[in-house]
Amino acid sequence: MTATLTQPVATEHTGIPLRTALRTAARWTGALAGAVALFAVLLLAKGVDPVAALTGMIAQAFTGPSLEQIVIKATPLILGAMAVVLPARAGLTNVGGEGQILIGAVAGAGVGLAVPGPAALPLMLLAGAAGGALWAGVAAAMRLVVGVNEAVTTLLLNYVALDIMLYLIYEPWKDPHGSGQPATRPLEIAQRMPLVSGTAIHMGIVVALLVAVAVWLVLRGTSFGFHLSVVGGNPEAARRAGLPVARLILAAMLLGGAFAGLAGAVHLAGVEFKLRPGLTTNIGYIAFLAAWLARHRPLPAVGAALLLAAVTVAGDSLQLDSGLPAATVNVLMGLVLLAVLGWSRHARR
Amino acid sequence: MRTIFAGAALTALAVLSTLTTAACSANTAGTAAPAVSGGAAPGKDSPAVGFVFVGPKDDYGYNQAAYQGSQEVAKVFPQLKVITAENVPEDDNAARVMNSMIAKGARIIFATSYGHLDAALKVAAEHPDVVVVQQGNLITGTTPPNAGTFFGTVYEPVYLAGIAAGKATKTGKLGYVYAFPISQTIDNIDAFELGARSVNPTVKTYAVSTSSWCDPAKQAEAAANLLKQGVDVITQHQDCTATVIKATEAAGAMTVGYHADASGIAPKGWLTGSQWNWGPLYSDIVRTALAGTFTGSKYNANFRVGYKTGDNPFVQSPYGPGVDEETKKLVDAAKEKLRNSSPFAGPVRDQDGKVRVPEGTTPDYETIEKIDYFVEGVVGSLPKS
Amino acid sequence: MLVVDVLAGGVRGGTAIMFAALGETLAERAGVVNLGTEGCMLVGALGGYAVAAETGSPWLSLLAGALAGALLGLVHAAAVLWRGADQFATGLTLMFLGLGLTSLFGAAYVGSPAPGFDPVPVPVLGDLPIVGEILFRHDPVTYLSFAVAPLLWFFLGRTRTGLLVRTAGERADVLHAHGHSPALVRAAAVVAGAGLAGLGGAQLSTAYAHAWFEGMTAGRGFIAVALVIFAAWRPLWVMAGSYLFGAALALAPALQARGHALNQFALDALPFVVTLVILAILGRRTLRAAPEELRRVFAR
Repeated sequence: MTATLTQPVATEHTGIPLRTALRTAARWTGALAGAVALFAVLLLAKGVDPVAALTGMIAQAFTGPSLEQIVIKATPLILGAMAVVLPARAGLTNVGGEGQILIGAVAGAGVGLAVPGPAALPLMLLAGAAGGALWAGVAAAMRLVVGVNEAVTTLLLNYVALDIMLYLIYEPWKDPHGSGQPATRPLEIAQRMPLVSGTAIHMGIVVALLVAVAVWLVLRGTSFGFHLSVVGGNPEAARRAGLPVARLILAAMLLGGAFAGLAGAVHLAGVEFKLRPGLTTNIGYIAFLAAWLARHRPLPAVGAALLLAAVTVAGDSLQLDSGLPAATVNVLMGLVLLAVLGWSRHARR
Repeated sequence: MRTIFAGAALTALAVLSTLTTAACSANTAGTAAPAVSGGAAPGKDSPAVGFVFVGPKDDYGYNQAAYQGSQEVAKVFPQLKVITAENVPEDDNAARVMNSMIAKGARIIFATSYGHLDAALKVAAEHPDVVVVQQGNLITGTTPPNAGTFFGTVYEPVYLAGIAAGKATKTGKLGYVYAFPISQTIDNIDAFELGARSVNPTVKTYAVSTSSWCDPAKQAEAAANLLKQGVDVITQHQDCTATVIKATEAAGAMTVGYHADASGIAPKGWLTGSQWNWGPLYSDIVRTALAGTFTGSKYNANFRVGYKTGDNPFVQSPYGPGVDEETKKLVDAAKEKLRNSSPFAGPVRDQDGKVRVPEGTTPDYETIEKIDYFVEGVVGSLPKS
Repeated sequence: MLVVDVLAGGVRGGTAIMFAALGETLAERAGVVNLGTEGCMLVGALGGYAVAAETGSPWLSLLAGALAGALLGLVHAAAVLWRGADQFATGLTLMFLGLGLTSLFGAAYVGSPAPGFDPVPVPVLGDLPIVGEILFRHDPVTYLSFAVAPLLWFFLGRTRTGLLVRTAGERADVLHAHGHSPALVRAAAVVAGAGLAGLGGAQLSTAYAHAWFEGMTAGRGFIAVALVIFAAWRPLWVMAGSYLFGAALALAPALQARGHALNQFALDALPFVVTLVILAILGRRTLRAAPEELRRVFAR
């Protein structure tokens, strides 16, 4: 009993024997090398020199402006990953980051449209977090009250969220002075995320990092974090141990949704400034994968988000230098993820 | 439960601390025009030129036409490196791609999609030494010294095509598949109907929107419904055009093309159409920028060219087999007339019969690009906004 | 008549979704979720269109579309069933792989001509009022699709192999005890299901849109996944649900062609909201229809 209770936490923080660590490292290297090699073969099949293409990507990622772009792209991914990490600790699968991000952006934009001036920004972020929490709360409520699994409902809610945003920007919230494309009026300068001095990076990254550290601290050092992992490990045992399972599940989903909603509001106030179709372009799904890449550990998830952002930015080189279609980078991302998900450790069966 | 609040409080703290951080500056991207720096004129002696496209460069449509223009620039200026990027979405990614091009030496950037304007202005503000020109949109307010927009008067050849459609239709119903009710598109739909009406006073144009520049499945459904309503000539304002043309041809109806000569996939029903020839205009903009005379030139503004002022980059496509000599003569006469007139020469009435352009007046290019109503004879309604 | 046009549009536009959703039904009845249906549809759409363009044979293109989808499904099966990777994460990865691969290899086929399936009204049946217009004035692939849902229903409910699939989804240990490998049965179901999704993609590109374009499935694969839940894992309900989704998509153009404006997106959300409401009302009862092993996936 005790063993099962402490097990999920214990594996993460006790020291790993050197040999296991080496073997793990070797397996990761092998998996990633395999992914890159497969990608190179595909490039060859398209008649593109893979060495030139890959060195071009690396060069692209390490120029000054690109590094800034990586950080900017990673910001909503980090927050979106936290929206997966925290519920996952309680055994919940939040596939709804995409929708929660959208609702967060919608809530943020709504406040931005209604409240003029710099006072709007904190309210926008709060509204974004609240909106995301509400959206995740629907899924949590359906799980707790009628027993419908959250993976199903969060996925369905993504579409509803997208349609809500499109509905609003197509008519009620459309910028009357805009070009006729569906979009809201841009945020005032005072309503936008301030920039980190001397860079193009907006302050959202600080928010994201603080949230990541907070999640890490909560999961690592608080009884709440411990209780979540007990529920995640064995809900029945948790119930018998007298833990308020329902409330813990609700809290995990609400917090996760709040992080995703915050991601949406931050992305809106830091980069986009107005709602428009394609606002999130799969940010929620990529963040879900970043969380998986990090095996649902908060700090590694920050690294995974940065990695995936870097792959995207480096991918620009594929078309600017190698003349390949822009979406080609998705192949590399997919192969890397597949390698890590399936081939970076011993198979379960 | 206390710990939940601790978590929430930590998050709130994170947000607050960010907002009160002193080390920050206003996020003015894309809004402020920079002071002209003491450096060289924007674009002067640029070693490279960048082109940004919203779709794939082989879409048989808008983006392919722009890509071909970029290749002509490469031919005219062999010393220039021409960098192209396709499928660049109309959001902040566009600014990122443009910045990458600048890092690769480009001092002249063409942002070729309507929705790239925000990103183009942002990049122009960040790089006073780079010329950023945008294709098709309008800069409102002050034009920065290193930016501008350009376009042809697209609606003029569309008006001429409307004449051919008005003569050819047997049911008196024309169809228009469009993406978004942006002013450019509204101009086209109106001009098409005005052209058709000029030879066939009772003809109607049915307008259906797909809310996407290229969603073939939605296009198929739009075409099917238009055909079902008895429409027998279909034209469109979409970036990819094959789906609608093939559906029209399969149903035995007639096609008016857009962006490119697609008579190959509509051998029976092709009437005529409008297509791009960007090369000369692109090259002249590049020449101006390389010479260091961009600022203050006609391109440092909302530049428009039409039959009245010169060589429209939008030209009429070849005729198909179904167009008779009488129609061709009517089109030629109308084209001649456009040299000192406009498809929107008054009187123009809107759908409610209200006179929008009074008799005897001819609106200028800028006025036409702000038209936000369908003219009499167009069936369809614009979303309220 | 508006209703007839919308229903005919629902069949026209719902067919691709139905193929994919039936494929997903098959996989889920065996106990595996494939969130990568979108990717499988995309490779099917490109594979089908490319083969039609190269060989000139539309029928061969259907086969190619199915094959392309099945190959991507094989990747899912291998990662999930052999390597123990997470189903949701692998499925989403598959979507990105499909997007990227079709973009990389599809550029050459954008705008290139290829033979496809044009509408062929069925003699006699096509002349029936209302019913003829809704059901029997489509392309041959759509007629073919009418048979798929009943066949899948028959296969799952009435055949021995279908029983194996269902047992893999309900009681894998029983299957194991009888000397069958649940992993093998599941892999077969996933691959076949992905093949159906690929077929749906090929229908989209060669029979509906008559073009290949990057990302042309535009979320239809995800709709298919949602639809399976909506239909409570039953093939015939999937068929009805697909036409319902298709009709929702067809209403806006039908109204617009009559001169009415419509904010399409309120309507687009409706099927998802209805699904959620059904789940909320029926709750556990709906989910009781879910295969047991699938429930274990969700409740992991």
